[in-house]
Amino acid sequence: MKSKILLSAVLILLTANACQKDFLDRQPPGELTFDKFFQTPEQAIEATNAVYEQFRSFDCIALGYLGVTDIISDDADKGSIPDDQPPLADIDNFAFDASNNYFSAVYRGYYRAIARANLAIENVPKVDMDPTLRDRLVGESKFLRAYSYFLLVQWFGKLPVITKTLQSDEYYAQTRQPVSDVYAQIEQDLKDAINVLPHKEEYPAQDKGRVTKAAAQALLAKLYMLEKDYAQAEILCLDIINSGRYDLMPKYSDVFTQAGENGIESIFEIQAVALPTQQSAGPGSSPYNMVQGVRGVPNLGWGFNRPSDNLIASYENSLDPRRKATIIYEGDQLPDGTVVQPNPQIFQPRYNKKAWVPSHPGLQDNGPGNIRVIRYADILLLAAEALNENNKAAEALPYLNKVRKRARDSSPVPLPGLLPDVTITDQTQLRERIYRERRVELAMEQQRWFDLLRWGRAATAMQAAGKVNFTPGKHELLPIPQTEVDLTDGRLEQNPFYN
Amino acid sequence: MKHLLSILARKRMFLSALALLLTGLVSAQVRISGTVTDAETGEALIGASVRVQGTTNGAITDFNGAFSLSLPDAGATLVVSYTGYADQTVPLAGQTTLNIAMAPNALIEEIVVVGYGVQKKSDLTGSVGTVKSKDIERIPTASVDQALQGKIAGVYVTPASGEPGAGGTVRIRGTGTLNDANPLYVVDGMLLDNASFVNPQDVQSIEVLKDASATAMYGNRGANGVIIITTKKGSKDRKAVFNLNTSYGIQQIDRYLPLSNAAQFAQLYTESTGDTTRFPDPAALGEGTNWQDVIFRDAPMANVQLSVNGSWKKLQYNLSGNYFNQQGIVEETGFDRYTGRFNGEYPVLKNLRVGTNLAYSTSLNNSVGGGVIGSAYRIPPVFSVRDSTGDFTDPTSFGQALGNPAADLFYKNDQHQRRNRWVGTVYGDYNFAKYFTFRSNFGFDRRNEREYYFEPAFEVSTSQRNEIPRTSRDSITIRNWLWENTLTYDREFDKLYLNVLAGQTAQENRFKRRNTIDNVLQPNGERITEWAMMSFLFRTNATFYDRYLVTASLRADGSSRFAKGNRWGYFPSAAVGWNVAQEPFMANQKIFDRLKLRASWGIVGNDKTSEYPSLGVITDELYSSFNDTVQSGATLINYSNAGVTWETARQTDVGLELAVLNGRLTVEADWYNRFTFDILADLPIPEYVGSQATPVVNSAQVRNRGWDFTVNWRETKGKVSYNLGFILSTVDNEVMNLNQAKSEILAADLGQGFATRTVVGQPIGGFYGYKVEGVFQNEDEIEKYPTFGDEQPGDFRYADINGDSILSSEDRTYLGSPIPTLTYGFSAGIEAYGFDFNIDFFGVSGNKVLNAKAIQTRFAVNNWEQVFYDDRWTGEGTSNTVASMDQERFKHNTRVSDHWIEDGSFLRLRSIMLGYTFPKNWLSGIGVSRARLYASGTNLWTRQEYSGWSPEFPGSSPYAVGIDFLNYPMSKTYLFGLDVTF
Repeated sequence: MKSKILLSAVLILLTANACQKDFLDRQPPGELTFDKFFQTPEQAIEATNAVYEQFRSFDCIALGYLGVTDIISDDADKGSIPDDQPPLADIDNFAFDASNNYFSAVYRGYYRAIARANLAIENVPKVDMDPTLRDRLVGESKFLRAYSYFLLVQWFGKLPVITKTLQSDEYYAQTRQPVSDVYAQIEQDLKDAINVLPHKEEYPAQDKGRVTKAAAQALLAKLYMLEKDYAQAEILCLDIINSGRYDLMPKYSDVFTQAGENGIESIFEIQAVALPTQQSAGPGSSPYNMVQGVRGVPNLGWGFNRPSDNLIASYENSLDPRRKATIIYEGDQLPDGTVVQPNPQIFQPRYNKKAWVPSHPGLQDNGPGNIRVIRYADILLLAAEALNENNKAAEALPYLNKVRKRARDSSPVPLPGLLPDVTITDQTQLRERIYRERRVELAMEQQRWFDLLRWGRAATAMQAAGKVNFTPGKHELLPIPQTEVDLTDGRLEQNPFYN
Repeated sequence: MKHLLSILARKRMFLSALALLLTGLVSAQVRISGTVTDAETGEALIGASVRVQGTTNGAITDFNGAFSLSLPDAGATLVVSYTGYADQTVPLAGQTTLNIAMAPNALIEEIVVVGYGVQKKSDLTGSVGTVKSKDIERIPTASVDQALQGKIAGVYVTPASGEPGAGGTVRIRGTGTLNDANPLYVVDGMLLDNASFVNPQDVQSIEVLKDASATAMYGNRGANGVIIITTKKGSKDRKAVFNLNTSYGIQQIDRYLPLSNAAQFAQLYTESTGDTTRFPDPAALGEGTNWQDVIFRDAPMANVQLSVNGSWKKLQYNLSGNYFNQQGIVEETGFDRYTGRFNGEYPVLKNLRVGTNLAYSTSLNNSVGGGVIGSAYRIPPVFSVRDSTGDFTDPTSFGQALGNPAADLFYKNDQHQRRNRWVGTVYGDYNFAKYFTFRSNFGFDRRNEREYYFEPAFEVSTSQRNEIPRTSRDSITIRNWLWENTLTYDREFDKLYLNVLAGQTAQENRFKRRNTIDNVLQPNGERITEWAMMSFLFRTNATFYDRYLVTASLRADGSSRFAKGNRWGYFPSAAVGWNVAQEPFMANQKIFDRLKLRASWGIVGNDKTSEYPSLGVITDELYSSFNDTVQSGATLINYSNAGVTWETARQTDVGLELAVLNGRLTVEADWYNRFTFDILADLPIPEYVGSQATPVVNSAQVRNRGWDFTVNWRETKGKVSYNLGFILSTVDNEVMNLNQAKSEILAADLGQGFATRTVVGQPIGGFYGYKVEGVFQNEDEIEKYPTFGDEQPGDFRYADINGDSILSSEDRTYLGSPIPTLTYGFSAGIEAYGFDFNIDFFGVSGNKVLNAKAIQTRFAVNNWEQVFYDDRWTGEGTSNTVASMDQERFKHNTRVSDHWIEDGSFLRLRSIMLGYTFPKNWLSGIGVSRARLYASGTNLWTRQEYSGWSPEFPGSSPYAVGIDFLNYPMSKTYLFGLDVTF
């Protein structure tokens, strides 16, 4: 009997030991884990590409983004049917509080981009690969991190500056750093990027659209403008202009066509493509076009971000061809020949023409349009603005007039007296002309709000636009999302007057 | 243990036979014959002892439960006894033919299924609750969970929803974790995370293991309690007995929500928006459409169960087939299920038995897309179902993206879920040496679930349309196997009974999901995950002198979820019991039939979290777009925690069991204290971390403590037997620590801020918000009281909780808990002269419910609840309870506050049933041995404080319980049926 007991015991132990060795080591089948990632050059590229991917996300470039750029400004109203997305209406009317979900969307979206960039910046240098490519990839991620902080700091002010992948004991321990520290971090990243990024022509064709040296210079110029360091801004803008790599497209409206994507005028665009797909959103697509598309007939989208009366009134000449290239009205014929029908649910519908895309594979969700983030006209106007601030009004004029001439020449028929060259050299007066030019040239391109803040003119502009709820001293900054303040037990302090 | 009992039974049979042999020598004058049956099931009892009182004269019943005896005279008294049944004394009083119905003895010989074995109830040191089949069958439901509601003290069941085929959320002794708090299910020895495939009518008994001594054998997954389901087994030495049970019923919604009618809506609309042109004469609109009429209906349900039970040669078998069909009270919804089961056991050798328990289930769930319950709640009553042209009315003319629920019912009804599932075990018991049994048990669970959704092209409005017909398919395959090997030493010594068990088990689960739209695989549409577990277990039960009980156990578990070094958990338990009534000094007392004290302590674990919490899994398909094509992208976007390990619960239980008045009154009382620590939780983390998912951490400590009481009265007087039952349990749930660099967990974001806050010193998921003190009547009051700064007359006046004379988010406070502090049930049953009648009540109290549906629609142009029409503020002095309808002020007035929180207490008539069993002599001619006709009602009456359809909301996470997001309402059911045995 004893032998039988022994046998059983041995059998049990045998089965146990036989299974035990690998039985409990489980990896997700068909998936890669972090410890096996960042081993090959391909993975270094993939990790960098993943940073770009985040910039096509709904959080980064759709309703929240448009809400806190165009809709909050005097360029646009909420749009769409009246009760769709009340939180956007709250942003439009300055009736929001810290719980508005669109502030969380952009905050979350760009911090996730920063996290992806941090991971690549930390780990790509460890990969055994061609050093030039490796440096370039790190430079791309640094640019994208800088761009994320550049947006966030303008919206929220002081920020937790995260430049590495946080460990679990650091999750709740971050605090907001002074704006100057955020600027310093952006500046450092961009300087690093400028040193390693290639010029646009140095990229192979399949990489068209990756960030370039000029993109980093341009963003740094924008940062200097924000810091009112006009001397540095001037140098950088002129560097780009004098490089001869960029120019204006002959016709303004062509900038926003598919043919205009990554064209001679393009310095940095968020890239999207509509590949044939049976999924709702294909692998390279963006929701940017859909959320702003004509709502009704033709049914192109959701109809948010409606160009405002105030914007229409800001064109110095109603025949300025840029107006027609910026705004779609009810009854307009679209470039593809279709006509926008009245929509009884929307009062005087208008749409952002710069976000219009012709028919493409897949449904609305599969939006193909690149977002023009920095284009040459922007740099010309910044150059003009910087030169004027540096008391070089006369030198500023050619850049301003180059932009005006292109607009003038974009008219289908020559119109005498349309947008004549500016000749004023009085600094104050010229400043007004440059500001106005900047508004109409870049209208509905998500630049206006940042310009107003930079110029210290948000309060007056909001007053003029009838946004009476705007409270100076408060609304120049968005509130830190309430959930974020709550989650950190208030370690992230709320912006003034939002508690 | 089963084995031991059968030995006991055999012994008794032997003695009885001996007695018969002896008495057979004496000459007989009167011949008495009869049958012995189970009073509850009517089944024949084989081997029952029938003895003449005061003599050794007696007989045992044969395979048909029949006996015959010769007696000196017909004035004697018979004593009938049978293992597991109360002895019955029957005066002959001249009768010569007797039919003796035996009542199962709940007290003395009740056998309880425990982890890896069975035990006599009197030998238990742990806290175990039991429900028998007849109590389960009274509730017509597809779900065993729902049938458990209100049956066992300490077991709180919330129906997942009123949707046909829906299961329930079971909480045993409170919510022990911030993680998955569901118990472990053990169905005929197979360890599972749910028992949705089990047909309640196949169930013999359900045991709920509540304390650590009972659950420690399932240490790895015992922290939230264990539910052991034992299905009906074949009878020994009996010809096939067929049973057909069929029922048909009608379900109805319990109550309609009071919503405003067309005239009231128009009035409120005008006040809310200031638009006086749309409805110049609101009163003229009358009632309008009651959209609840549009989506709700009376729905039938039907059930047919056919089973065969018996033995063929030495094979004991139970074979059953069932068809269950439940149409939903919401149009176009329904549930349809076929189940089949074969349980068999065969003695291959004298000392080797093999057996199987095999179940198959296939169900089809029809549902409807578009959220029709929500849109029926929101759509204004001024719209008709169809417009004058016969098309579905477009209800978006208020600028609200509302859907017409009738259109969704029409266009979005081709949506179903098919679930196929095989679950079974195959086992062998090898009694290879005296006292030793080796058991090997192999179990498997194979699930295939397919969800199908087709939406045609249609257009009602720009917000309710579909451009291109679309077919979506989602399929899930789960393969799970378990192999357990145990060795038992079971021996009765002179003064000691000893049972020692050692074993080893392994289990593996593989999950595969595939999601396609129009046959195209979706991004990350295919996912495979696995987990595995390996365990060693040891337990010893010892009984000294029939009265001192000791149990000790240890289980070691390795879980694949955790990284090496954190993988193994060790879960010990110890318990003692004392059967005081067995003491010699109690021998002469007549009061206590049983008096038992017991105490247990133990540690159990929980590893239920995602499959790979310690591994950073790279996400691919993060494409970048360059040059109008895409390049592949991949990175880590969901952070992980390599240090994650077991969640652990330490539980103490002290219990008292009493039986008095000859076992008629039994009382069981337990006090428990369960402390859960290292809770596995994916606590929300700040967004600046940049992780898309929240990493799982060992965090937080939660304590549940309370009392469980069970009181039963059971008595048989001649042909009348009746019983009364009462259960009551209390739960005091408190978060003891959050163990993080943070003091609170805010959750359940309603768009107006978080609705719950989990914080040290309060229950999990306690409601959190402002306190409403009244409504501002005029500007003077606004001046006088603390405000946010922009208040207007007609606005809620919130309390300044922190006393800083200004209102801010700092003035939010605890507003009550969604967890009931008290749950209770009572039941009564009587059987007399062929009739049986049963009634069950279930109730909870001490919990709150958040009326989130009203917050989310209150101030938009939706329909409104009638209370807003009745009680709204329309000017100074008109109301101090409901704010004005001004749309501009909705943000202020819909802050999460106690205005939206209601009492969640309710008392429900869970079931009421009347049955009649036809006398046997009516049936004998048609070959039927038993026939019973019954009528029943389920949920016929509910007294609830909450204003919604029903007050039970299990929630998607422990932080979001008790929140009304417009769930599928519960129904009441009227049903009749016929139960025939032949």
